[in-house]
Amino acid sequence: MITREHLVQRSPVLWEIPMSFRSDMRVPALLFTSEAMLGEVLDDRSLEQLVNVATLPGIRKAAMVMPDVHEGYGFPIGGVAALSYPEGVISPGGIGYDINCGVRLLKSTLMYIDVKPYLETLAKRLFCTVPSGVGRGGKLKLGKDKIDVVLYEGAKRMVKDGYGVLDDLKYIESHGVLEKADPNVVSNEAKQRGHDQLGTIGAGNHFLEVDKIDEIFDEQIAEAFGLSHNQIVVLIHTGSRGLGHQVATDHMRIMNNVMSSYGIKVPDRELACVPLNSSEGMAYFSAMAAAANFAFANRQMITWEVRQVWSHLFPSSPSLEILYDVAHNIAKIEEHKVDDHIERLIVHRKGATRAFPPGNAELPDVYRSTGQPVLIPGSMGSASYVLAGTQGGRDVSFSSTCHGAGRRMSRHAAKKIVKGKKLLEQMTEAGIYVETGSVSGLPEEAQFAYKDIHDVVEVVDRAGIAKKIARLHPVIVVKG
Amino acid sequence: MRYFRILPHIADVRLYVKGDSLRQLFIAALEGMNSILGGSTEKSKASAVFQEIEVSSQDVTTLIIDFLSEVLTRSQILKYQFSMDEIYECNERYFKARLLGCRVSAFEEDVKAVTYHEANVIRNREGNYETTIVFDV
Repeated sequence: MITREHLVQRSPVLWEIPMSFRSDMRVPALLFTSEAMLGEVLDDRSLEQLVNVATLPGIRKAAMVMPDVHEGYGFPIGGVAALSYPEGVISPGGIGYDINCGVRLLKSTLMYIDVKPYLETLAKRLFCTVPSGVGRGGKLKLGKDKIDVVLYEGAKRMVKDGYGVLDDLKYIESHGVLEKADPNVVSNEAKQRGHDQLGTIGAGNHFLEVDKIDEIFDEQIAEAFGLSHNQIVVLIHTGSRGLGHQVATDHMRIMNNVMSSYGIKVPDRELACVPLNSSEGMAYFSAMAAAANFAFANRQMITWEVRQVWSHLFPSSPSLEILYDVAHNIAKIEEHKVDDHIERLIVHRKGATRAFPPGNAELPDVYRSTGQPVLIPGSMGSASYVLAGTQGGRDVSFSSTCHGAGRRMSRHAAKKIVKGKKLLEQMTEAGIYVETGSVSGLPEEAQFAYKDIHDVVEVVDRAGIAKKIARLHPVIVVKG
Repeated sequence: MRYFRILPHIADVRLYVKGDSLRQLFIAALEGMNSILGGSTEKSKASAVFQEIEVSSQDVTTLIIDFLSEVLTRSQILKYQFSMDEIYECNERYFKARLLGCRVSAFEEDVKAVTYHEANVIRNREGNYETTIVFDV
């Protein structure tokens, strides 16, 4: 059990577990959190998991975890690890079962005052148009050939098929498609699970929200992002649905079976891994990329659905442009500074978001001077944030930052505190229209079940690994 | 004898299962997973199917997780709830059985995956098999 005594405080928001803590650690473990939040972190096994991550073959610089940390499978949620390319390991547990779970923000040209009279109507239309809920399928039913094309081309395919405009792709991480995707290493079972799920939100903590911007922290960058006070925006939070879950399951099983043949032993089966440049490693990476493309396509299809509702309800202001689309469960090949030189690395982000700094070549021109927009959804009914990537993040955390609020209470405990109907009433009284397929399940996602998003964002801002730009407040929540 | 119970977990669902034999442990695990998935089955003969399942793994802990994963995959694809009909063979590395499936209109919980997290099949002091299984929801 890791206690406060094992931690070395490096700054008010950065703590280290040195390599000397355990003999099999190859790098230190770093925790971004405040003194006030530390107690909760020590309550579960997330730091033990982080120490396990620090033992992975090929890991570089440090195993890290963000302030929204909680216990996960293999990696803690909020975990970041970079492994040498190409011989370092790749681990499905470092990405998660919901491959490319992520967030997209759409900017409208409307202000809160314009939308206020229509909130109830808008909420109902969004709920009816964008499928949500357990197992709920969408409008598109993909046959084998079609699903393979989507797995190859991601959001690009959806735009080609008329579900977006070319400009959309500029504002998606990796332009909405990972090049190394190979549908041939995605099982038929995964394709069957996902064949009718394009354009669907799913359930659990996934959502569609309409928010108003209620505070701007950096006027200059907000202007470059096209954000202003009281502006209405739309947040989409979902991932690769059943297809991604199955890809992770399939390859986790394969890796557990073959890992020992590479001389690898891990302290936790969910940390199963193989060298990236092995046949199994490349197969998983290509399958992961395919599932990630499915998630990009999913969020693109949902964007199209939302745009249909928007243009119908607001015909004189139909525009909904993408600010950005980020993944928070993914592995990417990136170049980062380690010691005094640049290395190519396999960066695993599990419940952590990429945050490229100003000057990064992948960013569209309009963000080259500001840094990448980073979207941090809060828990249901609470604020969300738009951040920007920083040089500090590049220097310290492999250009990575938090992804959300992080759970602090079990679903079961949350349901004991308040009934769904009561929570719905409270949110309505607070001016938030909620449309959900499961009122009884609502308390599982209540604000009190999550860490305080303001505290989480404050830590990353103080740590210099991302910068606060704008705060959003929900006015509509659509959930499964 | 077999038994299952849902335990607290911060983000997902944790299941404790116990059986006086490996067969009973596997049946309890399947019953536990079905209780998490939820959903009401259609009680018509027309919707009932039998399916064989065969799994081999390197050890019994991996075996029970791989078994549940395979059943979950089929449940999600076919929208069926599967119960154990007959176990043909069950040892620490191999499992073969016939499942009975009944159609469900919808599941109540979106179970993404059966994880290996915390799973460790042991024989307790009473001689019963037991393990914890965590489901990603």
